Amino acid sequence: MTKYVLKRLGFGLLSVVIVLFVVMTMIYTMIDRETIFNNDSQLSKLKYNEKEMYKVNKLFRYGYLDYTLYGTFVSDRFEEKYGEGYTEEQEYKDAVNAIQTESTYLDNVYVQEFKRTYESKGYSVVYLPKVTNSRGQSLSNANLYAKRERTIFERMGDFFKEMFRVETIWDVKDDTLTDRYIRFEWDKRSNMPALVGSGTTHKYLIYFDNKFPFIHQNLIHFSIGKGSIDKNEGREVIDIMNESTGELIVTPQVLPGYLDSDDPKIIDSSSDFHSVTYNEKATDADILNYGSKYSNVTLSNSKGLSRIGNSFIIGIIATVVAYIIGIPIGILMAKRKGKLADLLGNIYIIFIIAVPSLAYILIFSMIGTSLFKLPNNWSLAPNVPLAMVLPMISLALPMIGSLMKWVRRYMIDQQNADYVKFAKSQGLSKGEIFRKHISRNAFTYIVHSIPADLLSCLVGAIITERVYNVPGVGGMLTNAISSYDNGIILGATVFYTAISILAIILGDVLLAKYDPRVSFTDSRG
Amino acid sequence: MENVLIKEKYDEEKIKSQSEDELFYFVDHTSLSSERITAPRYSYWRSVFRIFFRKPLNWFLVFILLFVLVMTYVFPFFVKFDQFENVSDLSTYSLSPSAAIAKYGFSLKWILGTNGNGTSMFYYMWFSARISLSIALICGLINMLIGVVLGAVWGYNKTIDTVMNFIYFVISNVPYVLLITILVYVIGHGFMQFIFALTITGWLSIAYFFRNQVLIIRDREYNLASRCLGTNMFKTVTKNILPFLTSVIMTIMATEIPSYISSEVFLSYIGVGLSADIPSLGRMITIGQTKFLTFPWEFWPPVAVAATITIVLYLLGQNLADASDPRTHMK
Repeated sequence: MTKYVLKRLGFGLLSVVIVLFVVMTMIYTMIDRETIFNNDSQLSKLKYNEKEMYKVNKLFRYGYLDYTLYGTFVSDRFEEKYGEGYTEEQEYKDAVNAIQTESTYLDNVYVQEFKRTYESKGYSVVYLPKVTNSRGQSLSNANLYAKRERTIFERMGDFFKEMFRVETIWDVKDDTLTDRYIRFEWDKRSNMPALVGSGTTHKYLIYFDNKFPFIHQNLIHFSIGKGSIDKNEGREVIDIMNESTGELIVTPQVLPGYLDSDDPKIIDSSSDFHSVTYNEKATDADILNYGSKYSNVTLSNSKGLSRIGNSFIIGIIATVVAYIIGIPIGILMAKRKGKLADLLGNIYIIFIIAVPSLAYILIFSMIGTSLFKLPNNWSLAPNVPLAMVLPMISLALPMIGSLMKWVRRYMIDQQNADYVKFAKSQGLSKGEIFRKHISRNAFTYIVHSIPADLLSCLVGAIITERVYNVPGVGGMLTNAISSYDNGIILGATVFYTAISILAIILGDVLLAKYDPRVSFTDSRG
Repeated sequence: MENVLIKEKYDEEKIKSQSEDELFYFVDHTSLSSERITAPRYSYWRSVFRIFFRKPLNWFLVFILLFVLVMTYVFPFFVKFDQFENVSDLSTYSLSPSAAIAKYGFSLKWILGTNGNGTSMFYYMWFSARISLSIALICGLINMLIGVVLGAVWGYNKTIDTVMNFIYFVISNVPYVLLITILVYVIGHGFMQFIFALTITGWLSIAYFFRNQVLIIRDREYNLASRCLGTNMFKTVTKNILPFLTSVIMTIMATEIPSYISSEVFLSYIGVGLSADIPSLGRMITIGQTKFLTFPWEFWPPVAVAATITIVLYLLGQNLADASDPRTHMK
């Protein structure tokens, strides 16, 4: 069994890699890259060379290409040569300004060196000449840069390289920080011990607080990519999924720098001071308030669940309710095959299959709001639990229909099996046959899909969440696709793939536990 | 009883009037006729339809299906339809059925009111249904064909099985929405492109389901015997396995074809449907759902048509599947 699970996990991992490869090929080569500029308001404000450079930079941020500016190259060379004050050197100024005259720029030694270095690395060097108007006034400065398309394997490599990151005391690249350590300290905010680091990105590596799940860690970071645009730029996909959706909780809190003092400075804030990260540009006031250069608060205290939490709670309750209601009805239909209960159940099943899901969700929402006065819009609902009722019902009702269909189907199939005839001939009562024989055999089919149903709650429901305006993760992929957010598309793909692989493996394991006839130790077929 | 007596009397008189030579003649023994097995004549498909049309519900369903087919494929030839015929006249926008009839006089065209562009809902609905039903039928046919043929080979041949299992495991993990979106995005929002996007991987799940079915009956005794007698793979699949699975194919078809109508609605709703100038039920429902409380006549008619088509196709398919099971033919 363990061997089988390990084999499947390895196989699943390979599958993730291939899926990522396929999806990366699709989004980076099949979609015209100009589309990422379609709704860019900043681009229309720019002109000439600035526009070109903005485009190159954006393509870089999206992961299409690597580029180096001539300016950066020259600065690096001179810093090596002259140290800190290199910007004052005349030679540096000449080298930087050399590219402004189109006819002579190639004569400059640094330009030549730049071209030589990068062309040997496989880059192509692009020169954007100076733009002047008819009166000879400069409209846009000349620019020189080297660019190179990134290959799919580099992208894949980066993706997996960044997947796991462990914080070390050498994370912070600041020469002024001399005291680097990781040690246990008594955390006065929570009155609990905490693992505290200096030189690490986060100050608190392991800490306790009063928020679920009460123990938190910043030591090992798991990443499935970062968002590429707008407000999601540079944010981890996992953080976006865990983004809180409720209002901020503002409470009086002691500033970190005053935790030890007798006269603590207390401010009204929603900041979670356990989430501070190192800020190289911290001002003196910051250092006074925060006690060190760890002054960048990354999390806030807020009410309500995260995005994925909303989706999960709605989904999990809907699934449980669907199983509690759907299975007994399915059994009842099988028992009374051809009678009124079966007919009514079949009508319901056909209704769920036939009517487009968008339509029946709207029908449920209409019935819910008009008859039971339930809110049909998350943002207008008086409280969160009430806002969750209609989405839950809309998710549960179709699930009930499909469970009814399968339970009925399997039960009826089993009813015609030989062992049922034998049991009947042995004088077992109908109830006993149903309870002890038929349902046990029929449920083997149902058991296999339970993990998939539970895990798919993490993915969210696209239509339901959109109709009821639920802040969940259901729309993550579709929104990312419509805004060409390559990072989130990849992250979501990996997440969905991992979930589906895990669901199949867990389904197999559960089946093997439930049904002694199933074994994965020897190969079948 | 009386008739039999009369007939016997008649025969007796007939025999008496004939000579010996006329009454008897030699019958040669032929080897061919000794091989003939006398059994009631049985035609598979005739029996299927005999069982199928025994139920009055099926007559009714076929009647509705014919009506829908006439309205979607014949009716459009007789009327002229332009989505934007009244787009310049704001007073024609979103008229209720009664308001539209009051404005234009009673005619079939205005019986369901007008939509947000001032065009006839009734015409728009049937022109949309034509596109959606065509997509469902074409996609269903293509996917079923590829799925069944490949599924049969996949289940039958063990080398292909390992390769295909891997392909299936990988492709089925690429999110469906992502795949369709990117494909529609790359190749365009046209009718043929949409069909291509829906069929490029759509056959895979059918083939997988079918592979499992083939696996179940591949090693049955009758197939083993057939293989021992030297039947090749093609013949085993087409003559031994496929006929056995006719009712399974029907069952898949019954759920598969209607599912494309739902898919089309879903994809339109998330913004990757057909382009705006192609009328489709998905587009109508997506537009209609934003105003289903204010202008309900823009929402319910396309939903009703989509639901009718799906229910009819689903029930017909299920009943045809029941009828195509030879075990029901002896009743």
